[in-house]
Amino acid sequence: MRKPAKKTEKRFTPQKTQTTPFHPRTNQFNLMQNWDDWAGYLAANVYESFEKEYFAIRNQSTLLDISPMCKYRIKGPDARKVLDRVVIRNVKKIRTGRVGYTLWCDEEGMTIDDGTIFRFGKQDFMLLCAEHMYSWLQDAAWGYDVEVIDESHNICGLALQGPTSYSVIKEAGFKGVETMKPFDLREVEPGLWLSRTGYTGDLGYEFLTENKNALKLWDRLWKAGRQNWGLIPIGLEALELVRLETGFIAPGVDFQAAHAVSRVGRGRTPFELGFGKLVDFNKGHFNGRRALLEHQKNGKRYNLVKLDIEDKYPADSSYVYVGKEKHIGFVTSAAWSPTTKRNIALAELEAPYGDTIRDGIWVEVYVDKEGKWYRINAKATVVDGSFFSNPRTRQTPPGPF
Amino acid sequence: MSHSDKFDVIVIGAGHNGLAAAATLAKRGKKVCVLERTNAIGGMAQSRDNDGTSVPYIAHLLHNLNPTVVKELGLSSAIKLKELPTIALDPDGRHIEIAGNKAQYTDGSAHPDAAIYEEIRARIIKFGQLLEPMAARTAPDLSEGASFAGLPELMPLAKLGLKMKLMGKKEMREFMRIALSNVYDLILDDMEDGVLAGSLAADSVWGMWTGPRSPGTVLSLMYRYCTGGQSSLPIGGMGAISHAIADVAKNNGAQIRTNSAAEKLVVEDDQVTGVVLKDGTTIETKAVMSSAGAFQSMMIGGHENFDVEAVRRLRNVRSKGTTAKVNIVLKDVPEIAGLSDSQMASRLLIAPSAYYIEQAFNAIKYGEMPPAPVIEAVIPSLSDTSIAASGKHVLSAVVQYIPYYLEGGWNDKARNKLTKIVVDTLSKYAPDLRDKIDYTETLSPADIEQETGAPGGHWHHCEFSTDQMLAVRPVNLLARYAFGIKGFYLCGASAHPGGDVSGLAGRNSALQLIKDGAAS
Repeated sequence: MRKPAKKTEKRFTPQKTQTTPFHPRTNQFNLMQNWDDWAGYLAANVYESFEKEYFAIRNQSTLLDISPMCKYRIKGPDARKVLDRVVIRNVKKIRTGRVGYTLWCDEEGMTIDDGTIFRFGKQDFMLLCAEHMYSWLQDAAWGYDVEVIDESHNICGLALQGPTSYSVIKEAGFKGVETMKPFDLREVEPGLWLSRTGYTGDLGYEFLTENKNALKLWDRLWKAGRQNWGLIPIGLEALELVRLETGFIAPGVDFQAAHAVSRVGRGRTPFELGFGKLVDFNKGHFNGRRALLEHQKNGKRYNLVKLDIEDKYPADSSYVYVGKEKHIGFVTSAAWSPTTKRNIALAELEAPYGDTIRDGIWVEVYVDKEGKWYRINAKATVVDGSFFSNPRTRQTPPGPF
Repeated sequence: MSHSDKFDVIVIGAGHNGLAAAATLAKRGKKVCVLERTNAIGGMAQSRDNDGTSVPYIAHLLHNLNPTVVKELGLSSAIKLKELPTIALDPDGRHIEIAGNKAQYTDGSAHPDAAIYEEIRARIIKFGQLLEPMAARTAPDLSEGASFAGLPELMPLAKLGLKMKLMGKKEMREFMRIALSNVYDLILDDMEDGVLAGSLAADSVWGMWTGPRSPGTVLSLMYRYCTGGQSSLPIGGMGAISHAIADVAKNNGAQIRTNSAAEKLVVEDDQVTGVVLKDGTTIETKAVMSSAGAFQSMMIGGHENFDVEAVRRLRNVRSKGTTAKVNIVLKDVPEIAGLSDSQMASRLLIAPSAYYIEQAFNAIKYGEMPPAPVIEAVIPSLSDTSIAASGKHVLSAVVQYIPYYLEGGWNDKARNKLTKIVVDTLSKYAPDLRDKIDYTETLSPADIEQETGAPGGHWHHCEFSTDQMLAVRPVNLLARYAFGIKGFYLCGASAHPGGDVSGLAGRNSALQLIKDGAAS
């Protein structure tokens, strides 16, 4: 069996890589000077040590510069209608002061991206996501009384994540945060929005504010967290592992964003990605609704599933088989999860494997031991729910864990 | 509202396509109602009375009324056509008469290019007839690809391929060579540029934003000639065609309501259930067909009911009209030196060379009117005395390359300028025309849009070009008449196969609606 190539394709970014407003700090801490390009911005892969950063997310508290996220402000009398036209879930159900996770599709019902909707007010929203979406959102907003503003470059974001993150916020002097439940959103201080959200599956918060406030915010949190709460900055590599432990999916990795591919049949429906429950067919027309009804009728073509794989070797890019040697899919993300002590993966399987047929699935793992390759056939179990789950993530008010 | 007010299908717009759709449905037992915004049916194909003189309001000749439509609707006894030869006018007086594929000077002497003209024209007609079956059905759906499920959709294409092969290697190669090329190169490869070449080139561009040198003009010529390329004058005027189709609809129980503008669809759970009129009344129905332009139909359906990508595409359908209409009511018939009385009744063409046409096209790119436009004129009253009870005559002129977006906009001054350009151009050939004018009526593309609702005043509602035809007409994924919302269908010229008074778009769409079970 040929080993599929590792997914290292990078999208072309046609301008000089930008620095985020936190760069004076992130640069100073980045001992490795290990940077990646995230949506045209320099983003730290690792500051000092991947292991240190990973364990800090699960045991202390961490700062992640999320400024490169695409941030689209959608404001005006028809703002809710436009968002409901775009996304698969019912936006009416996201109340003011709440955040909602969702996906959105093209006209063929193929997922364009996933992201979060922040509802600041009755007619005031922000859509945060990984893929550039401005011109498409302009198309979606045509004919509506609404303004779509790309705030990606003037609003910065900072994620404070980890079991002691609430303690850091408290020590930094932010008031009233103890009552914030998961997915709550609040303007904790004028011009500073705080949400109890994150990409780590752990207790955590995200700040959004204008660029000019960036360093003041960083320094305030740093001062509050450094002494007692083990606060350190983290890079994308540690984030990648914790998001996989939580079972979050990443565009371009676990599914192909519909706008980023040209080959026929590369798109995936929300059903196939495991988000069928989010699709609200009763809210009126939304993009791809007719196609999704057809897909619902015809059934899924694929299942994106979580796998618990025996043995300890990460099954990166591995083929997945059933029975004797029937190829049914491949692994999209894989890692050894130090916290759960499991060898975990996300894999895309041909339906109905991973759904109604779950027995006899195994993975062909290639292991490089100092220049010599070994092939290991490891049994895989389909897992429901996230690999990592801890009550502290949801406890309100949060404790000083 | 009484129960009897519920229809199987409501057709928006009583242009010839809307009427053809209604007649096709009514003949198959559907309860149909046609809603027409204006006070008259026919759209671009109507006659208007002007003090006892019947004027072909916009379209004046038939060249593509589809035989299948005529047969299915049983129109052959209801309509009377008179085939007209074409006189290609020469500024130097060596006019050419073209009847069928034969061309000769009007004095009966032979034209040196007659043989090659006949060959080119015959080949274009042959290729056009090859493509005609594709026009007389729903555009193929290629989304299934070369799979078992996609087989029925690939069959017509396979048939086309087979027929092409059966023409022989040489002809098939020729088809492939010229199909997407431009008419200018095609003609001038074999002929001298001049009046005869101009006559062919002109037929490739009527109503379109293309010049003879634009790619795709060979294809548009094939489309125009796909039923033989003859121009015919309907006896009783163009309106007689619309009325004949309307009669078929009415005789089969359809209602036609004029002064009834459809404003908005009623959509429940993504299914059409009714139409709201401008006056606020709602009519219940199982399905709606719209013969309005693609974008206009989307707006009637409500853009919020269309996917983001579809809205973007429909907003960008190219439909800038390029053709104006000038109707000149005459006290008496003017004279053209070298033409007999009977020749004066022909289709008169002012397109003295392919180069002349290309020059005329240049102006429109800059929002200007060409000083020397391409004109197709006819004096129908010479062939059909029934329409000129007043004893007056009408010179009906289709004027090509008049911009929809005129620099400075359309107003009376611009219209007067256009009238003058047309009268001046015609007077070069008929010097006494000016003295015989009783009255002129000028319709710019903007006026045609205003009057008929055709987007941009465009003949085809949607420019007829390779990126807007077949499986992508009017736009990708909405090319099979079904138009987004369940029970909503597009049936006008912007749908496949396109414009001209052919009746196919309306008829095809109605058949697709029935096949889909949308009105049962």
